[in-house]
Amino acid sequence: MSRTNYQHLVTNPAASTSHRIKILKNVVLIALGIILLRLFFIQIVEHNAWVAKADEAHTLLETITAKRGEIYMMDEDEPVAVALNQTTYQIIIDPAVTEKEGIKHALETYAKDYIAVNIDDIYNTEGLRYSIVAKNVPREAADKIAAENLGAVWFKKNNQRVYPEGDLASGLLGFVNADGLGQYGVEGSLNDALSGKDGLLKATADVNKVALSIGKDNVKIPAEDGKNVVLSVDRGLQKGVEEIAVDAINNTAATNASVLIMDPNTGEVLTMANLPNYNPSDYGNVKDASAYINYTTEVPYEPASICKSFAFSAALNEGAMTADTTYFNEGYTTVDGWKIQNAEQRASIYGTINMKTALYWSLNTGSIQALRLLGGSASEITQQGREKLYDYYYNKFRLGQISGIELIEAEGFIPDPNEGWGRDSVYANMTFGQNLGITMIQTATAFSAVVNGGYYRTPFIVKGTMENGELVEKPHTEAIEDKILSDETSAAMRDMLIYNRNYKVRGGIDKPGYAIGGKSGTAQVVRNGAYDDTFAELIGSYIGFVGPEGELPKYVIMVKMWGEGQSIESGDAMNLFDKISNYAINYLKIPPKA
Amino acid sequence: MPTIRKHKSDLVIVFATLGLMALGLIVIYAIGPMRANVLNNTYGTDYDPNFFFIGQLRSVGLSLLAFFAAFKWIPYKYVKKFAKPLMIISLILSGLLWILAMMHSSLVKCELGECRWFNFGGLSFQPAELLKLAMVIYLADFLSRKREEGVIGKWREFWLPLLIVCGLSLFLVVIAQGDLGTGVALIAIIFGTLLISGVPARQYLIMLAVVLAVAVGSVITSSHRMQRVDAWLTTLTGGESTDSTYHVENAMLAIGTGGMFGVGVGNSVQATGYLPESINDSVFAIMGETFGFIGLFIIIAIFGVILLRMLKVAEGTADFDNRLLVIGVFSWTLAQVVVNIMAMTSLVPVTGITLPLLSYGGTSMIFIAFAIGEVCQLSCYTSREVTRNEDISSRRGVRGAHHSSGRRSS
Repeated sequence: MSRTNYQHLVTNPAASTSHRIKILKNVVLIALGIILLRLFFIQIVEHNAWVAKADEAHTLLETITAKRGEIYMMDEDEPVAVALNQTTYQIIIDPAVTEKEGIKHALETYAKDYIAVNIDDIYNTEGLRYSIVAKNVPREAADKIAAENLGAVWFKKNNQRVYPEGDLASGLLGFVNADGLGQYGVEGSLNDALSGKDGLLKATADVNKVALSIGKDNVKIPAEDGKNVVLSVDRGLQKGVEEIAVDAINNTAATNASVLIMDPNTGEVLTMANLPNYNPSDYGNVKDASAYINYTTEVPYEPASICKSFAFSAALNEGAMTADTTYFNEGYTTVDGWKIQNAEQRASIYGTINMKTALYWSLNTGSIQALRLLGGSASEITQQGREKLYDYYYNKFRLGQISGIELIEAEGFIPDPNEGWGRDSVYANMTFGQNLGITMIQTATAFSAVVNGGYYRTPFIVKGTMENGELVEKPHTEAIEDKILSDETSAAMRDMLIYNRNYKVRGGIDKPGYAIGGKSGTAQVVRNGAYDDTFAELIGSYIGFVGPEGELPKYVIMVKMWGEGQSIESGDAMNLFDKISNYAINYLKIPPKA
Repeated sequence: MPTIRKHKSDLVIVFATLGLMALGLIVIYAIGPMRANVLNNTYGTDYDPNFFFIGQLRSVGLSLLAFFAAFKWIPYKYVKKFAKPLMIISLILSGLLWILAMMHSSLVKCELGECRWFNFGGLSFQPAELLKLAMVIYLADFLSRKREEGVIGKWREFWLPLLIVCGLSLFLVVIAQGDLGTGVALIAIIFGTLLISGVPARQYLIMLAVVLAVAVGSVITSSHRMQRVDAWLTTLTGGESTDSTYHVENAMLAIGTGGMFGVGVGNSVQATGYLPESINDSVFAIMGETFGFIGLFIIIAIFGVILLRMLKVAEGTADFDNRLLVIGVFSWTLAQVVVNIMAMTSLVPVTGITLPLLSYGGTSMIFIAFAIGEVCQLSCYTSREVTRNEDISSRRGVRGAHHSSGRRSS
């Protein structure tokens, strides 16, 4: 560039700069052109890809957890909660951002007992973010901390199942596991009804995962909360019975006891106890999972001589015998070449005795004789006898069938009358409650039919639901009510069963003015497919009914006691029955005959 | 040289400027509450939902005052008398900020480790913005004087004083305040006015190469700046997301979801906390989400019109000093618009620069409004169409009957 050029520039500025201004004009056009091309590429060409990416980043997909229904028992006429939900919170902070002193102070003021870490350690850890600092914080405390309006503090909600009565009726109630699923008992059996139906929230959310009203396809399906289930079980009665049963376990060789109390006139279960209990809030610490089992519905067994009341009812109802029908008792009888003995061998009852006496002494020969008579023969077990007994046991008393109570149940079994080898001896055993498998609820329901005038009624334990604080009773529309025995049969059986307890009345244990009848059963345990004749382990059972004299029974009580390797005689069970019976008369305020 | 009469100002620039301010207000009105909500949730602050809108309203009010002060009330000939003092005051303020920041004074406001603001009881002031304005006025004065003296391109009389002033300014802004965005704007102002000042092309290109070399060197030697370049390359090539790519990725996500027509005012999701700086540096991305390609096209067209009209004003301005001032304002605006938008679309690395007239932020809007106001004032003194071809139809302000030159008979 020469000097003259400058002079030219100085004298004529407009001409000198106009081409350089053109350069700037081109810079503007090129830069904005590149930008527009780039925007066209991002906004039009790649648009769908960005929208997909945005959906992924912005969409909040959250299940709205349905509230689990509560469980109630009855306290006289008022439902009371025995399983509740409690909302607790986890408190999470971001130590890099949070107001350290503020949050520390708030935690120590409102939630001191729930702090899960050493806060100073958290603060001193370089680069640490998102730390859980408190757990199981109750709602009120969490609310107070939230009200402090501190930054970088989050609350995570947990739902916890709480059992305000502690370990009461644990075998009946069951528990809720860490995944929120009901396990065992009512929690397990009625899990679907209790858990309700979770809802769904699909929404566009802000960076803190708070749903926004912006967004085209936000979806909200509200949760359907679980039903609040009211059990027919009476809390006070259950509690009293459990205390008595624990006492019985402590004072006998038995390690376990199950008690069932039901109203024979309705099928309503008033008590369902399995001892020992466990704490359902702390179910994880139970060492032996058998503690979770509800023995009254889930475990079939042989109630033994209790079943004589069923065999006798069948023969009476068919008109094959009366209480006064006699037979010759030798202390044993032979079926299919097997010698079946009576447990009671006192000399005074050898010879010709009637059926009432046979039941009183619980003679196996007596119940086998009833089976023979049922088949139209005084000396032999016939096919007709087996079929009739099966008809009564399986079809009428519904033994070996699911009873229909609202709990998890085992079916049990009743042998077929015509198939297999040695049917006669199997059926002879069935008359005194062996060679079959039935649950306590089946037994007690059948026994209710024996004493209530002959009506088989489906047992139930769910009385209804709590809706808005009011008990709404459940109609038992699918319940069976089946007249299976005549009034006379039932009356005759009540007589014989009361007679069976007469010595108790004389002993002053049963209160005067009440009609109390019952039948005991001592079952051998089957080991390796055969009855253990050493009697090293026995299960003691007792079933009975209680009511004012001259009236239908008010309730039926069944007791079962056992222990691994322990020989529990029915006498232990009967003693437990006696105590429970007297307690129940007081508790339920059943008036004696005027 | 024809005599220049005062005539009507360039109303296109005036209305484009006012239109952009109004648009910025609407967008801040829509997303300000989201911003407040995010800050309240994340940092436990207690901003009112209308906090940012009211702030923007205040900034727009002050900017309008500044704009009309420069445009109508204060003649530029008075302003240019203060070219040197203004530059000195700006440098002193920036220096003072640096010293006070090192003393951890409460008069200095720092954000994310960078101390760029004076803080006077809640009112904050960013001296770098004043420095940009001062630089424009100073260079217009300096370069035109040097040109009159005929020393342009000479080392002692021209380059040395220029290098001292510009070097000191860049040092205080880029190194002391860590404000790369303002640095880029300053460099644009310097090279824009230099280009027009008539510096020989060879010297100009050498100087540009030196500055570029220094810039590249400062990027390579700073891990912080290198990280930004790395993040930019990662985003551009579609690599794995990292913390550093988060900003630009979310800006592109906002722009991309806008599509052709946008999601509409108030429906931005990215403004609810996903996109950092959504109300200030990233407001363009939110506008892309809200108004779509059509909306951005219009916004860019408005900026394009402003910039091209500024060049037209510069071309028509006879007074060399005034021409340089217009070019300075043009370069400043161009740099901020292009660098901001290119960063949001991953065409260049993020530098942290506001979008003129649209971003939230008081100081930057007030000063650029003042600068554009000056251009509008000077637009009244152009020798339009360079006197050639002047016919009666271009005589605005001349009343009376007009006769078209090519009238058709019916």
